[in-house]
Amino acid sequence: MTLFKIDEVRKTFKNGEIEEEILKGIDLSLNEGEITALVGASGSGKSTLLTIAAGLQPASDGHVIFEGKNMSIMNSEEVRKVRASEFGFVFQFAHLVPFLTVEEQLLLMLDVSESKLKKQEQKNEVNRILKLVGMDHRKVAYPSSLSGGEKQRIAIARAIIHKPKVLFADEPTASLDSQRSKEVMLLIRDLTKTLNITTLMVTHDEEMLAYTDRIIKMSDGVILQDAIYLD
Amino acid sequence: MNLAWKEIKKNKVRFLILGSIVFLVSFLTFIISGLANGLSQDNAALIKDLPQGQFYMNKDADQTYNLSKIDSSTQNEILSKEKDAVAFSLQMGFLNDKDNKQQSVAFVTSTESDLFENVKHNEVVLDSSMKDKGIKVGDTLTNNQFSGKFVVKGFVDQKKYSHAPVAYINEQDYKEIYRVDEMQMIFAPDGDSSKEFAGLESFSNKEFLNTIPSYNAEQMSLNMIVWFLIVISGMLFAIFFYMMNVQKIGLYGILKAIGVKTSKLFKMIWTQMAIITVISLILSVAFSQAFNLIAPKGMPFTLTIATTTQLSIVFLIIGFIGATISGIQIKKIQPLQAIQQGEA
Repeated sequence: MTLFKIDEVRKTFKNGEIEEEILKGIDLSLNEGEITALVGASGSGKSTLLTIAAGLQPASDGHVIFEGKNMSIMNSEEVRKVRASEFGFVFQFAHLVPFLTVEEQLLLMLDVSESKLKKQEQKNEVNRILKLVGMDHRKVAYPSSLSGGEKQRIAIARAIIHKPKVLFADEPTASLDSQRSKEVMLLIRDLTKTLNITTLMVTHDEEMLAYTDRIIKMSDGVILQDAIYLD
Repeated sequence: MNLAWKEIKKNKVRFLILGSIVFLVSFLTFIISGLANGLSQDNAALIKDLPQGQFYMNKDADQTYNLSKIDSSTQNEILSKEKDAVAFSLQMGFLNDKDNKQQSVAFVTSTESDLFENVKHNEVVLDSSMKDKGIKVGDTLTNNQFSGKFVVKGFVDQKKYSHAPVAYINEQDYKEIYRVDEMQMIFAPDGDSSKEFAGLESFSNKEFLNTIPSYNAEQMSLNMIVWFLIVISGMLFAIFFYMMNVQKIGLYGILKAIGVKTSKLFKMIWTQMAIITVISLILSVAFSQAFNLIAPKGMPFTLTIATTTQLSIVFLIIGFIGATISGIQIKKIQPLQAIQQGEA
């Protein structure tokens, strides 16, 4: 079932007098529970497409439709609300809040998403998610005492604790070594399948494609290939 | 979730530095303000303690009270028309104590009134600071221009003029010392500024204080220092929070990306500003009040709770403005920038 639809999206940047079209009319549908990877050379427009889909920047033209609602005509507060409650984000770096413990990072996300859970229920949920990502033993640790891989696990836990419908992952393994990258991708795959989350991911790492369901290859602002991943 | 407090707890040293600076600046401001008030009292307590009203001086005196003379017919006219009005004179002078040592005083005399001490011929009532010079009730004091002797009948608290203790004497004795027949000024409590009397110039209490030589210059310099310190503390807030915010641009961007409201980030810096300012102010109020108690007797230092409260409120407002100015950049932060910037 289609959850997310990108319709004729264009993005133009002005560089002085010169107008540069980064996205040239992209059409894309994302299905529920599916992991889609955007691949392509640098400058192909994949990160721009992901950030437009995630409501982090507006498209110059076209529409982003989420659950039938046109995000392109929403005001910034409406878009923020969608981002806070319906989307989850994992970036190249974990970007954890340095002065919050692991537990507090997740409680903050529940707070931001205006979770209806009571205080104790929130703590229980944090424990459950930390167990899922294998980090329940580091509940009271601060980010400064975590390894790169651990930080990324917490970032993933933060991205899914509020049960988002869509997970956006921008090069989630780029800052990790090969072993840690595989672990993180396996985690993303397991969680998105278990929780039925739609995932859109940008990656450079071809090895990581093995964990996806669908691969979209982009070049020069257009989709070159849209294929099902076959092992 | 109280992000503000959690950040303070985690970065104690950083906030301790800011708190110490705010404490030192506010403490210094309270001390200088105490000195300004103290000097103001020392210079003009006699006038400042009078109720609001109108002072009248001769127009020809060119706003100089000791050149003013009000003839008796005008004086009688005003005293009969204005309720509780009083005619008075004051001049700097000397009293010789029992060891024949000269003590500088401000001689004050007045017509019958509750606003000034009324003393009999050959008597004097002194400001209580004269007790420190060893003068007691019953002592006999002299003046070179006065044929009689003054017997000390009592003391009054905090009555000073031009940094000298006030000596209330009888009208007849005053006229003998200064060889005058007229009073210098008239004060009408609750007097109407629009009411004019021929040949007289009227002044409000504040206007009259400014006619006192050195009062305005002294107060202006000290108040300017106080206001400079307040502005400096506001700038410190703005600069400190600006530098902290610059370091946290990446973090704020990510928080915005995951859906944290900009208003929540503003609340965070306002809360931090409030926590730091309130703690620093509590400490500086406590220290300055303690200084108020232990300040050397000769030091003109008066710091009232009202002044402290007013300055504290000003500090909070200035801190709020400083923190808000620094926070304007938060509003401009684009989540995308932060994501592209890398790990903070």
